[in-house]
Amino acid sequence: MPVDVTMPRLSDTMEAGTVVRWHVKEGDEVSSGKVVADIETDKATMEMQVYDDGRIARILVPEGKSVPVGTKIAEIAVQDESAANTSAEPMVPTVLAEPPGAVPPRVAPPGAPGPGPARVAGEAPLSNAESRRKPHEAESLAPQTAAQVGGGMRVSPVARRMAEELSVDLAQVRGSGPAGRIIKRDIEAAAEMRGAQVGGTSHGATTVPTAPGTAPPTPIARVPGAGLASPVVQRAMGASVGQPGIQSVEMALSTMRQTIARRLVESKTTIPHYQVSMTFDMDSIVALRETLNAELVPAGVKLSLNDFIVRACALAMARHPFVNASFADDRILVHQTVNVGVAVALDEEKGGGLLVATIRDADRKSLRQISAETKALSEKARTKGLSIEEMSDSTFTISNLGMFGVEHFTAIINPPNSAILACGAAVQRPVVRNGSLAVGWEMTATLSLDHRVIDGAMAARYLQSLKHLMEHPTLLLV
Amino acid sequence: MSGTSIEAVIPSAEPAAGVREIEFRDALREAMSEEMRRDARVFLIGEEVAQYHGAYKVSRGMVDEFGERRIIDTPISESGFAGMAIGAAMLGLRPIVEFMSWSFSLVAADPILNNAPKMLYMSGGQFGCPIVFRGNDGAGGQLGSTHSWSVEGLYSNVPGVKIVIPSCPYDAKGLLKTAIRDDDPVFFLESERMLAMKGPVPETEYLIPFGQAVVRRAGRDCTIASWGRPVNFCLEAAEALAKDGIDCEVIDLRTIRPLDLETVVRSVRRTNCCVVVDQSWSFGSPGGELAAQVHAACFDDLDNFVHRVHSADVPTPYASELEQEYLPNVRRICEAVRHATYRA
Repeated sequence: MPVDVTMPRLSDTMEAGTVVRWHVKEGDEVSSGKVVADIETDKATMEMQVYDDGRIARILVPEGKSVPVGTKIAEIAVQDESAANTSAEPMVPTVLAEPPGAVPPRVAPPGAPGPGPARVAGEAPLSNAESRRKPHEAESLAPQTAAQVGGGMRVSPVARRMAEELSVDLAQVRGSGPAGRIIKRDIEAAAEMRGAQVGGTSHGATTVPTAPGTAPPTPIARVPGAGLASPVVQRAMGASVGQPGIQSVEMALSTMRQTIARRLVESKTTIPHYQVSMTFDMDSIVALRETLNAELVPAGVKLSLNDFIVRACALAMARHPFVNASFADDRILVHQTVNVGVAVALDEEKGGGLLVATIRDADRKSLRQISAETKALSEKARTKGLSIEEMSDSTFTISNLGMFGVEHFTAIINPPNSAILACGAAVQRPVVRNGSLAVGWEMTATLSLDHRVIDGAMAARYLQSLKHLMEHPTLLLV
Repeated sequence: MSGTSIEAVIPSAEPAAGVREIEFRDALREAMSEEMRRDARVFLIGEEVAQYHGAYKVSRGMVDEFGERRIIDTPISESGFAGMAIGAAMLGLRPIVEFMSWSFSLVAADPILNNAPKMLYMSGGQFGCPIVFRGNDGAGGQLGSTHSWSVEGLYSNVPGVKIVIPSCPYDAKGLLKTAIRDDDPVFFLESERMLAMKGPVPETEYLIPFGQAVVRRAGRDCTIASWGRPVNFCLEAAEALAKDGIDCEVIDLRTIRPLDLETVVRSVRRTNCCVVVDQSWSFGSPGGELAAQVHAACFDDLDNFVHRVHSADVPTPYASELEQEYLPNVRRICEAVRHATYRA
């Protein structure tokens, strides 16, 4: 019985494909897994394998010709059949389609009856060990790209959503799930491999602090013909382009930079931002930190001021749930967990950028836990990049430029959060304490807020609670 | 349905550390006794609840405190005493009906399913039915096919009932008090296998509202949603899976009508993965309903279809090893989670 080889659907949007090159000629022996041709889609050129053992009986589409998905492009004579016995009758346009009564295909096309996981998924319960074994068997098949599964692409819903958000081309991803289903971890791996560990999901956003009075960046002209798609920085050496008298080099946008640009424009243009600032007396917290760190030297723990701020911000949520909320079109979601995002700047030498690491359940973690987690995540962010998980689900964000000596700045809200706290440095200043002049530690922090969720007085009351915690830092220990 | 009057609510899931530990059966008795002291309309009726102090000693000593007018022994006649109690509820009393086993409630199906839940509707609001039916549900341990019912599979199909299935003594007390004060019929499903289970129960009064699930264990990789006795197996399974690096979040729904979908959805949005564990049979079950609702609410968040662990689709076996294998157990829950997370 001959087997048809049809033009596979290698991407979601693919309607036709071009046979760039045949790796086989009529009469060649092939076995399952053999790459027989290179196919160019609307997105890329990919290898096409066959899934049957046999001999290439006929090649129906010459190199360079484009045909619609599903068109028969070759025919394989399987086992003992001779090529002469093959028929050219039209078949169901799927790579693996076989006529009724034939040996069951190794991987069933979607919807076809058979022992594949699609069927299991359609059945009601996996209530006994017998039925649960089925997906297991399917998984023991070699991993394959989704496209290999009979024209349709198998992608779990969350994987499809993440691929869109992270601009991952599904056609380029090998699915590791049953029957080649592309699942969450495949997208994460693809994004990571591409070096695109940007908080591109709707939950794990990135945010850029903006300094007031910052000069607009020098306009960069585009070098004609230079693509923006490549994440590699391209330099137009010595090319004088754009505005007369200004020499610029063109830098391609990294995926992270694209995400930052897209999300922050969206945040700043759709969220009615306003800012509220407050200055905190930091004498107690500086002293407490010194005492604790002296005691914790043997344990190798060194708490940063930021760790105290994270905990204080999280604890203050208990009395101000709307600061820990999201605006969702027709309603407000008041989150029941407090996940504090901490903005982490990446080394400029390595391309810069920033991302937000999520400290989950920060209101339920001790200073030490917060400190250890923040350190570990920052380190990982700078070296290997963070997983989606590690950047997702923040409900409030803190951006701290205190270590650079910045005393005051404002930040852009990190959607879907409703607030972000911009922290300056703790500095020694002349202060009035008990009616007389003294030298004291102070820090100024500025909240940026979404007015659709939080009104000015609510923001002020939150800052009051925060101030109380910061100025009575032993409260942060219990 | 009419509202619930809850004067004191402890919304938090867990009792504070250091409180006394008592048995599940004692938590039930405390709930009933406290409510009977508080409200003279409350009474307990059922087989052997008075002179014998309850077939499972849940009502131990209650007849001594409240007397035979409020702790009432009945003949073996579920249909009769359930119907009588419904009449009492319609006329203003607040009965607690003890079924020795929910398996025996089947002979009272007409009053409890056809009268109680529909009374408010059918009487155009003239008669409510503030009644609690309670007793042992699920396999009690080699009781055979007819006496091992998980009735929630059948009964949750009926609009108008509230169904409470606690997993620990703390919840048993707080939820039973809420059930007794509720103005609607409440089916309160206990487990013979849990009556001797000890757990912290504070002496100060508290109530647990219906429809409020609790996260028993936080985790990132897979949401396991369950209720009643199997929650304890889920927690055990989660510990076993943690050793393999699979971090499960275990949610205890506590009541299946009303059903706190929000808490499950919030979790699944994070884990992208869900396993429902329900000791009733799979076909037309509350577990199937929850899975369907999760699919609808979290379609774009799921990395795999919602997996389910139920009792096997056969009459409950008598042989103890078969019975164990038939029920959702730790091994079967682990298997389901591994498949759901693609780590089988």
